[in-house]
Amino acid sequence: MGKYQLGEFEEVVMLTVCILHGEAYGIAIIEEMEKRLGRKVSIGALQTVLRRLEKKGLLESEFGEATKVRGGKRKRYFQATQLGKKVLQDTKEQRLGLWAAIPNMAFNE
Amino acid sequence: MNKSQSPPHFFLRLFRCFCHPDYAEDIEGDLLERFDNRVHKVGHRKARQAFVWDVIRLFRPGLIRPISGSQKLNLYDMFTNNFKIAWRGLLKQRTYAAIQIGGLAIGIASCILISLFIKDEVSYDTHYEDGERIFRLANAYTDANDFGRWTLIQAPVRSILYESFPEIEKVSRIVVREWKNAGDNQFRKVESKRNIYEKGFIYADPEILEILEVPMIYGVQKDALKQPNSIVLSRSKAEKYYPNENPVGKQIALNDGETVLTIGGVMDDFPGTSHLQYDFIITLADFEFWPGEQTNWCCSNYEYYLKLKPGTDKMALEKKLLYIRDNFVIPQLEARGATDVEDVKKFRSYYLQPVSNIYLNPDEVGDGLPSHGVLDVVRVLAIIAVIILLLACINFVNLSTAKSANRAKEVGLRKVIGSSRLDLIYQYLSESLLYSFSAILLGAMVSWFVLPWFNALTEKAISFPWMEWWFVSSLLLGVVVVGILSGGYPALYLSAFKPADVLKGKLRLGSRNVPLKNGLVVFQFVTSIVLIIGAMIVHRQMDFFLNKKLGFSKDQVITIESADTMGESRQAFKEALLQQSDVKQVTVSSYLPIAETAVNNYEFWQRGRKELDPGVEARVWSVDADYIETLGMHLVSGKDFLPSSNSDKESIIINQKMADLLNLDQPIGATLVSNFGSPRRVIGVVEDFHFGSLAGPIGPLCMLPGKSGSQVIVKVESEDMEKTMQSITSLWDDFMPNQPIRYSFLDERFANTWTNRMLNRIESIFLVFAGLAISIACLGLFALSAFMVEQRAKEISIRKVLGASIKSILVLVTSGFVKLVFAAMLIAIPIGWYFMRQFLADFAYRIDLSWDVFLTSGLLAVFIAVLTVGHQALKVAFSNPVDSLRDE
Repeated sequence: MGKYQLGEFEEVVMLTVCILHGEAYGIAIIEEMEKRLGRKVSIGALQTVLRRLEKKGLLESEFGEATKVRGGKRKRYFQATQLGKKVLQDTKEQRLGLWAAIPNMAFNE
Repeated sequence: MNKSQSPPHFFLRLFRCFCHPDYAEDIEGDLLERFDNRVHKVGHRKARQAFVWDVIRLFRPGLIRPISGSQKLNLYDMFTNNFKIAWRGLLKQRTYAAIQIGGLAIGIASCILISLFIKDEVSYDTHYEDGERIFRLANAYTDANDFGRWTLIQAPVRSILYESFPEIEKVSRIVVREWKNAGDNQFRKVESKRNIYEKGFIYADPEILEILEVPMIYGVQKDALKQPNSIVLSRSKAEKYYPNENPVGKQIALNDGETVLTIGGVMDDFPGTSHLQYDFIITLADFEFWPGEQTNWCCSNYEYYLKLKPGTDKMALEKKLLYIRDNFVIPQLEARGATDVEDVKKFRSYYLQPVSNIYLNPDEVGDGLPSHGVLDVVRVLAIIAVIILLLACINFVNLSTAKSANRAKEVGLRKVIGSSRLDLIYQYLSESLLYSFSAILLGAMVSWFVLPWFNALTEKAISFPWMEWWFVSSLLLGVVVVGILSGGYPALYLSAFKPADVLKGKLRLGSRNVPLKNGLVVFQFVTSIVLIIGAMIVHRQMDFFLNKKLGFSKDQVITIESADTMGESRQAFKEALLQQSDVKQVTVSSYLPIAETAVNNYEFWQRGRKELDPGVEARVWSVDADYIETLGMHLVSGKDFLPSSNSDKESIIINQKMADLLNLDQPIGATLVSNFGSPRRVIGVVEDFHFGSLAGPIGPLCMLPGKSGSQVIVKVESEDMEKTMQSITSLWDDFMPNQPIRYSFLDERFANTWTNRMLNRIESIFLVFAGLAISIACLGLFALSAFMVEQRAKEISIRKVLGASIKSILVLVTSGFVKLVFAAMLIAIPIGWYFMRQFLADFAYRIDLSWDVFLTSGLLAVFIAVLTVGHQALKVAFSNPVDSLRDE
């Protein structure tokens, strides 16, 4: 597989999934993002991205146990794959590399 | 959960409906969890709104259910599977499939052709923008036992319509009957010398172009015919004589300079679906056929077209038009001393015929137009189309139910595995849909292929509307209708098998639907036999017309047309012709004893009885002294005109019918008067001969002496017609170097008159569809018998082993089917008799319905059926019994 370039929203979602580490299912991710980033996220937007990342092999998912809340529907827990983690790492290094290349005066002017 | 606290039910359902089934569970859980959170945070109402918004935003390409291919969408797979099975079945039994599809395709092809024909017939004169305001004025006569409508009206009515009827926007009269230059003429540019024969001339008022919304190529609609002596040419004629130039203002000469006209404009050709088909319109502006004609109420020679102002009430206007009758027509009649004034007052009225009705003429308005559609033919064809399609569907039903024997096990197994009856019905319906789809595709192709031939048969120019949306959509509709019509019963029948019975082999195959199957076969043959009877009777009637003793001789008679341009030299030409060895007689006259000839009617009375009797309206022919002899007519009493006698100027020869109608006991020497010319003395009575259409009775006719006819009629006795014609032609060329000879043979012209052509067409239509019906029926019969033989192969083989003779096996196989065809014959004969009696009632001279026609057509059907079944019967009768018994 060629090098996959993450989009901004994808990157945020991936990072949030990692933050929640094992507790990452739909609503939890949305709430975490709302709390940390203060941005509104619709279920539709999030789910589309989750499924896309899963198809790319950056995330994997499994069902949890059914409970009485949520109308008896099971939760689907997401988790970053090895590939996903590597892509995140690469992204971070690219960004850092870019930061490091900025001459000081650029921000001082 | 409390109901009022639940999320909007509809949207939850909607979500389940569109969401990808793999994702549905956890996303629904998320939705519900979020909803609960929101209920606590922002209250129930807002939570519901947010829920709806969430669901709507979940409608994304990545999340929605794919159109095909997910496991829950079992229907799609079944659908493809059904078609796969149908396709395999089709390939496995190719002959039967070919018969089923081929039969249907034939039915559909004829249905398509007939529909196109009918559509064309009813689309006449629907192209006018203001069509609902365009009418043709007609007279109506309605008394207790007589009802008639006709178009001819007096010339001065035009100005009255303009003066007294403000609701009439425009009026135009036209003259289509051959009168002066109406009809055909020798045509040339003034500067040219060469005469060319052209047809399609009419006279009309200048308004005709505006009323009929005729598009102009050159000139202006309003003014093109305004100037006296102007003429408008059609585009095709303008292109012929004035290619690539504007001919407006140029002069043309008719009949070698007898009439000179100036071109006022060029109009587009009349569309194919116009009831008027003419190429030259001569203006009536400031024109009179004879001095004082335009203001004279004597004669009715004009057809009137009106354009009404918007919003005019047709019925009210018809009532108002009686003003013309009461204030003009009746005073004129009274002044002339007519005897029928009272009847006119009581029964005559006016009728406005919508322009779109003129062609098919459901009101049966009598007019002089050369061609009309025949409403009855349209109706009969529509019925035939439906019947042929039904016949084809019947084949499908019969074969499918017959084949059910083979498929009983399949049905049983499917049911055991868990198929519901509905599934099976779907399966068989999709099968018949596949068949009907292939059949319609094939049928459309077939009809496209034979369309040129069909156009020739019906004298039409229909093109195939592949690209028209209505055509494509009605074909698709046809697929569904035919599919359900032909597949419905087999689907119900097959799906009702009880699995245990079929799998045990208990089912008595095909026994249950025998009455239905037989009934359908009988229906097919009844229809075929009726159509064969129709074709035979029409053929005989046609034969009767062509060979009927007409009272004159039409064989070896040549008519040379457009001879009036010869002027005075006609007599010399006549003398020269008589010098030729083959020529027996020559006469000059415009009148011929066929339906399509010049028409001229006067009213006659015995002298002294004009005020007492109703007049006898008789055809008036102007002929010379050789006419009666040349055409082989017989004088029953009196004598013929003398070749050069001035006393004949006041003579008249009448036919027997006219003598009867005038109550002349001693016709010779009686004196007749009319509204024209001096009184005339009857010098001869000619035996009645047919001169109009044979559909009607012989009417009164009289002949006046005259030498100025437009045709030279030559009776020849020739072994070698080609040589005779060559010498006549070279003689003509000596007289008329600038005008090519135009001649025809009287017997051919007779065979080509409208009634005869019509009959000919009806005959071919019957013949074609009778052929189609019987071939569809036989296809079905062939397949059924083949199938029966296949089913009973073992039985027949055992019979043979036990010593049955070939004859007994032939009888065994064929008798059942032949009985059916005999039954069909018994039913068909009275039906055919009834319809054919109706058909013949329209003809004044007709054949008797003789029994042999019915017997022949019935036996023909039986014979064809025996041939069809016999092939199968022979095959099985001569087969080696071992072949079918070997595998036991």
